[in-house]
Amino acid sequence: MKSVLRTGAVLAALAAQASCVQMETVEAWDRGYLAEDTMQWETDARSARLKGHVYTSKEASTGGAGAAGGGCGCN
Amino acid sequence: MNPLRSNSAFLRSLTRTLATLPAYQAAATLADAPPAFTEVGVRYSHYSEDDIDASSVIFGATSRYDIDITQLWIEAPVGASWSVALDVQNDYQTGASPWFVGTDQNGEPGVIMSGASIQDNRVEVGVATRYFWADGNAGLNVSRSDEDDYEALSMAFDASWNTAGNTRTWTTSVSNSRDKVNPTQGVIPVFVSDEALDTQSGYFGVSQILSRTAIVRVGLNYTYSDGYLSDPYKLNDQRPQSHERIALSTGYRHFLIDANASIQFDYRYYADSWGVDSHTVELGWAQHFERTTLTPYFRYYSQREADFFEVVADLTEPHFADDYRLSSYGAMTLGARWAINLGDWTFELEGERYWSDANWGLYDGDSAPALVDFWRGTMAIIWRFD
Repeated sequence: MKSVLRTGAVLAALAAQASCVQMETVEAWDRGYLAEDTMQWETDARSARLKGHVYTSKEASTGGAGAAGGGCGCN
Repeated sequence: MNPLRSNSAFLRSLTRTLATLPAYQAAATLADAPPAFTEVGVRYSHYSEDDIDASSVIFGATSRYDIDITQLWIEAPVGASWSVALDVQNDYQTGASPWFVGTDQNGEPGVIMSGASIQDNRVEVGVATRYFWADGNAGLNVSRSDEDDYEALSMAFDASWNTAGNTRTWTTSVSNSRDKVNPTQGVIPVFVSDEALDTQSGYFGVSQILSRTAIVRVGLNYTYSDGYLSDPYKLNDQRPQSHERIALSTGYRHFLIDANASIQFDYRYYADSWGVDSHTVELGWAQHFERTTLTPYFRYYSQREADFFEVVADLTEPHFADDYRLSSYGAMTLGARWAINLGDWTFELEGERYWSDANWGLYDGDSAPALVDFWRGTMAIIWRFD
């Protein structure tokens, strides 16, 4: 478990560092491209959830960009 | 005739842009305003695993799982600051799965399958509500999943808020799930009943607008489970009673103006207290056409085996498993999603193919004989109205 915690600490530090980087300000009226569906983290949240559920059922890894949901008896 | 309805496509486009004015988005892809339209949708998916190679089977059927998945949902704005959503999902699965791995007359490992008569139905109902304010939003989601042998009740809360001139969005979420496992006796014997599993999970992340065409995010997820974590339908499966997991996820989106397309990149690093760690990379290209968007994507996944995994389980150890899902291997997915927008209606088609192979992994480990390949096909119809 120590290795997991060590890994977590390193990753948290990297995440914090990355989040502190100063970026250019994009005016609100200039965010049309950013508003496109295909620029979202999940183009369709329900479709992404289904896709993630399939992978989670067949792989040892879970989690990612959000807290975990309920389990299932998927085997 | 409602004049606004006749221009709904334009209004949607305008609303989508306006919705990003006070802020951009959170990890859950949320602008800081309720949805402008009510959305009703139905999605059907078929999941089909390839037959297992007959040379890998010592006894039992070679066919594996087929699953039919139906999703229904409605999501609507409530007043100026709230939205609500109801989701219902039904999974019907039939087929067989590996029961355990033994050795044949030559001492080679081979799979004993469960038989081809497993049937199960899972129904999940979820209710969500979300509150939006000027520079953030928060949501609460409660869901219940029921199947013959498994129940799960989960609750999740998330919040996002914007800083740095609304170019940076911080997101956090926590969840709790209480699961009950009560395996059914079928063609294979099971030796457990009335087991429980509790899971808590937390996430913290940030997304940052880099330019008018690029955005990046990074986030960290921690999950802790305590209780029954073995697979009751596998003969040789005795896993630890607790499981700690951590996942770092990053993402990048870039809009190419000349090509009228978006590049989508996602990466996840995962590690857990069972000795598994993995890398997942997904790359997509979303090409816009006049009324449609076509998004081919490629995903690569590689994991290291769990400390207690053996191709043929070592029953003398305190923990053991021969489940191929805990072995070292690599997997590739090739897929495409096609969305067609016709006024208030959107039609979606999606298909993907998943291949796994021990030789494609980044980590050493013996090859499990039951690695799975599968197809998934999905179609959806979505109606939005005001």
